[in-house]
Amino acid sequence: MANVTIPVGQAVQQSAEAEADILKGIFAAHRLLAVNLVSSPGSGKTTLIEALIGALGGRKRIAVVEGDVETDIDAARIRRLGVQVHQIMTRSSCHIPPFMLREALGNLDLAAVDILIVENVGNLVCPAEIPLGEDVRVAALSVTEGDEKPLKYPLVFKTSRLLAVTKIDLLPYVRFDLDNVETAARTINPGVEIFRMSAVTGEGVAAFADRLAALHDRKIGQASP
Amino acid sequence: MHELGIAEELLRAILPQAERHGAKKVTRVTLRVGVLRAVVGENLSFLFGHVARGTIAEGAVLAIEADPVAVCCPACGLRTEADAIVLDCPGCGAGGIGLSGGDDLQIVDFDIDE
Repeated sequence: MANVTIPVGQAVQQSAEAEADILKGIFAAHRLLAVNLVSSPGSGKTTLIEALIGALGGRKRIAVVEGDVETDIDAARIRRLGVQVHQIMTRSSCHIPPFMLREALGNLDLAAVDILIVENVGNLVCPAEIPLGEDVRVAALSVTEGDEKPLKYPLVFKTSRLLAVTKIDLLPYVRFDLDNVETAARTINPGVEIFRMSAVTGEGVAAFADRLAALHDRKIGQASP
Repeated sequence: MHELGIAEELLRAILPQAERHGAKKVTRVTLRVGVLRAVVGENLSFLFGHVARGTIAEGAVLAIEADPVAVCCPACGLRTEADAIVLDCPGCGAGGIGLSGGDDLQIVDFDIDE
């Protein structure tokens, strides 16, 4: 009996990446922009999506996939706004795995969607590791969480193209230095685009919505921002 | 506990390859894990041992190599490695440093008994 070393050199999560590639193909076929929204619990993801639906209404057709460990509370909130929505209850999973998103897509009419927003489970570790074939990963960070978050959870901030700093209406009440968070985010991810906003006052929401609309335009070959 | 998912994916990746090579047993698996991955090696080893039970990888040793963050300082030209995110140059203290890497999660190789 001989002991032999087999060279591999492949990503551990290759099967997840292969599943994500299938999703990417589905998104491309439907010419929709897929957004994977990640953050810690309570950063205001659902409220941000509600505000984006308002800001993009009429320009882009939005659909939302909600991911939570339990309940369809978030989907009910989105449904009231009259857009397509499907709730994933992940149960034992702390993130949305690609196969669950693929199943969820079967419940949506993707031909009638321009921008698909996937609200991942609130968690700054696991969703960062698992690609969903998205065009854009957006990290949301609320000012109540502290400006050191990008240093504590670097992978999610490294892999996100856009960073939404939310709840800026609360800045007078918390110790949160916008410059610190932006320096940290840019050191980890030099290309990150940072948007400051408050879904409650509406400040900054239009600029963020415009960026998503422009990214969809570019994907389908209209204009090139 | 994200190590459980990683352990399962690791086993799923290795078993078919080991079988293709006619392995009777997988004795050791070498991983390269980025320091930004927030992977606790002890947890991953324990959970891999758990999920590998009853397979040819039962009892295999996990060897974990660290993939450090590469630091490059445009101010003083220092090039070095760090085992966590740093915002200022460890040499001259300047900000605006460049960071790269530290996010690998790769199977380097594994050893089998034929």
